[in-house]
Amino acid sequence: MDNKEFTALVVPFQDRLYRLAKRILVSADEAEDAVQEVLLKLWRGRKNIGSYRSPEAFAITMTKNYCLDRLKSKQASNLKIVHTQYQSSDSLEKEVEASEGVEMVFKIMESLPEQQRIILQLRDVEHFEFEEISKMLDKNETAIRVALSRARKAVREELIKKYNYGIK
Amino acid sequence: MESSEIEKILNAYFEGNTTLEEEATLRDYFNNHRVADYLLQYKPIFIGLEAAKEEQSNRTFQVPESEIPTSHKPWRYAVAVALIVAMGVGVFYNSNTGMTPEEKEALVAFENSKKAMLFLSEKLNKGAEQLSYVDEFTTAKDMVFGKE
Repeated sequence: MDNKEFTALVVPFQDRLYRLAKRILVSADEAEDAVQEVLLKLWRGRKNIGSYRSPEAFAITMTKNYCLDRLKSKQASNLKIVHTQYQSSDSLEKEVEASEGVEMVFKIMESLPEQQRIILQLRDVEHFEFEEISKMLDKNETAIRVALSRARKAVREELIKKYNYGIK
Repeated sequence: MESSEIEKILNAYFEGNTTLEEEATLRDYFNNHRVADYLLQYKPIFIGLEAAKEEQSNRTFQVPESEIPTSHKPWRYAVAVALIVAMGVGVFYNSNTGMTPEEKEALVAFENSKKAMLFLSEKLNKGAEQLSYVDEFTTAKDMVFGKE
């Protein structure tokens, strides 16, 4: 597999990896670094890439593991996640600002436990089937449904709470 | 779609019991339709989820260009091995038919000394030829003085 073929293979799901990484790491810069690192790892192991049933699912699992490791090492070294990139970096935020409460939803998603965040991202943003998510995360479908339900409810409750208090 | 129908799907949604199609219906309803007042509070969730999908990085991710030749490496190795083997075989045959430097030197020395010997013997023969005149002298003397 040469450079071109590899790029053709990963480009279709590159943005998905980035969004997942950003959901976990929050900072856009760090998410980009993570994706770059995962792609390098995939490139080095490209000989085996054909043997995976779905290179995309494999890449998502790698990204998730890599980001969780990053998070862990960061907590271990007592560094705080820097949120500076969050407000300004993407055109997305600007686009979305107009619609009320959406930014609040993003903030709420950030406050969820990592596993719930990952599952919410894979299901409600990327629209993967439960079966696929189950393989990516190596968890059974029931556990995923439960975590997803908790995540969705948490978002709802936080949203209602914030509305009722009239914050923002 | 009826808002009561949406509400039903919404309840299943929060329990984690919706299919991808039903979830698509919810996103479509909250993003593209007039939302019933009592469901308005859920609108940000589905608008947010829809927006989250559009997020992209501006960075171009790259795999190292310099590593491209690695895919041709087996071929390169084969050529390198073939060259080494060819050189090895060549040297082997050369060393069998040819000689070591010492042997060559010895051969040159041998040829030179042979030439020198031939030259010497040639001169020696010439000298020996001249000696025949000495014999002539003896015959002449015999003729004059007679044999004793």
